[in-house]
Amino acid sequence: MEKKTAESQVIVVTSGKGGVGKTTTVANVSASLSKMGYKTVVIDLDIGLKKLDLILGLENRVIYDIVQVIEGECTLRQALVKDKRFPGLYLLPAAQTRNKDEITPEQVKKICEHLKSDFDFILIDCPAGIEQGFRNAVGAADKAIVVTNPEISAVRDADRIIGLLESAQFKEIKLIINRYQTNMVKKGDMLSIDDLLEHLCIDLLGVVPEDSNVIISTNKGEPIVLNGHSKAAISFNNIALRLTGKEVEFPSFEEESLWNKLKSLGRNIFPGK
Amino acid sequence: MLKIKGINKNLVLVFENGSFEEYTAFLENKFKDNKQLFNGSKVLFTGKGLNFLSHEQIAALQRLCLDHGMILNNSEANLHKTQNRDVVIYRNLRSGQKIRSEGSVIVWGNVHESAEIMAAQDIIVLGKLEGVAHAGFYGDSSSIIFALSLSPTQIRIGNKISRSPKDQVKNPYPEIAYLEEDTICIKEYNPNNNLTRMKIL
Repeated sequence: MEKKTAESQVIVVTSGKGGVGKTTTVANVSASLSKMGYKTVVIDLDIGLKKLDLILGLENRVIYDIVQVIEGECTLRQALVKDKRFPGLYLLPAAQTRNKDEITPEQVKKICEHLKSDFDFILIDCPAGIEQGFRNAVGAADKAIVVTNPEISAVRDADRIIGLLESAQFKEIKLIINRYQTNMVKKGDMLSIDDLLEHLCIDLLGVVPEDSNVIISTNKGEPIVLNGHSKAAISFNNIALRLTGKEVEFPSFEEESLWNKLKSLGRNIFPGK
Repeated sequence: MLKIKGINKNLVLVFENGSFEEYTAFLENKFKDNKQLFNGSKVLFTGKGLNFLSHEQIAALQRLCLDHGMILNNSEANLHKTQNRDVVIYRNLRSGQKIRSEGSVIVWGNVHESAEIMAAQDIIVLGKLEGVAHAGFYGDSSSIIFALSLSPTQIRIGNKISRSPKDQVKNPYPEIAYLEEDTICIKEYNPNNNLTRMKIL
């Protein structure tokens, strides 16, 4: 498979707070991009606490890792793991037995420069926190995706991260709201999309609703976009489409009422009316 | 009769009208109340009131300052240089970002929760103020905090601290926070009220 676009995008996916769904986002968006025919590589920079290989279901195929590439034990090409289910999806795994401060932002940048000639999208999975791991991940990227949950602790950390990205001269910072629950928002128990956008003042890239299918697919090691018509899969596909520059409308996330369901059923049965 | 202002790391004592005895009593009281603030600070004497004091009296007041751990700093040049240390920010201040100024701070944007502003003089936020704001951090109690939407986590003016009530109502009009008899007060901003008079003095 060949590279499709002239200009490669290096995108870091970050959040500050842990457990908001960075790795799940990276896995699903990259899988979706490669399904659309873009050559995509994901770099796991959570050295010492790697999970991306697990979520992609590639753990048993990892031979070399990014630290070994940097230390010259193997070539970059040797370390890349090809995902057989998706043409053009590759993983550069993290080392589990090493430490985040064993590599520097310059080294990550050099790796990305090499990868640019072969890939349309380079997605970097950033570790939680704002220390060395964050600096490594951010240094090489020119675009950033901030993942957050509609809860106040995640939003606070996202705000901090956006501040750091802005001072690192990032021009394009976009927001993904993960684990959104429309019924809780309706009851006033959860921050709404508008609340979040008003507070964080950045552009929205996508909203992923809470979906228990995500846990199932994570446990199986299969990205949910692989065979999904679930709500989360559709959202991840939309996010991938927006990354490629297409305009995709944001669905309203309203639960369909019984009356509307009956109406559409009626229309299907009696198409003439 | 005597004002204490913080300008560019100096404590400026502005002598207005009063007698030597009044000044001494006032300063002794102030110093006793607030040992940490004065200890180690540079002090500068200024104001018309000084003209009515003898050299011995001024020396006695300086001695009083020295006894309380202050350092005398008698060059007024220091003062004038500082007239324009104001900081103007043209972006949102996000969580974890901190601005410090020896003058006033003006923010053209929002100040998010967990962001911090410290100013030796006033703080003016042309947006939402949700973080922590400390005006007059050298102890200038005439400093004010203004925001188009004032809902801070905490505000400090001089050495007084006030935190937001639990169920804070977000008022849709600009508000101003100021010190009145050692209490931080907040009210709707009105260009005709007496706050401006307070500042001119």
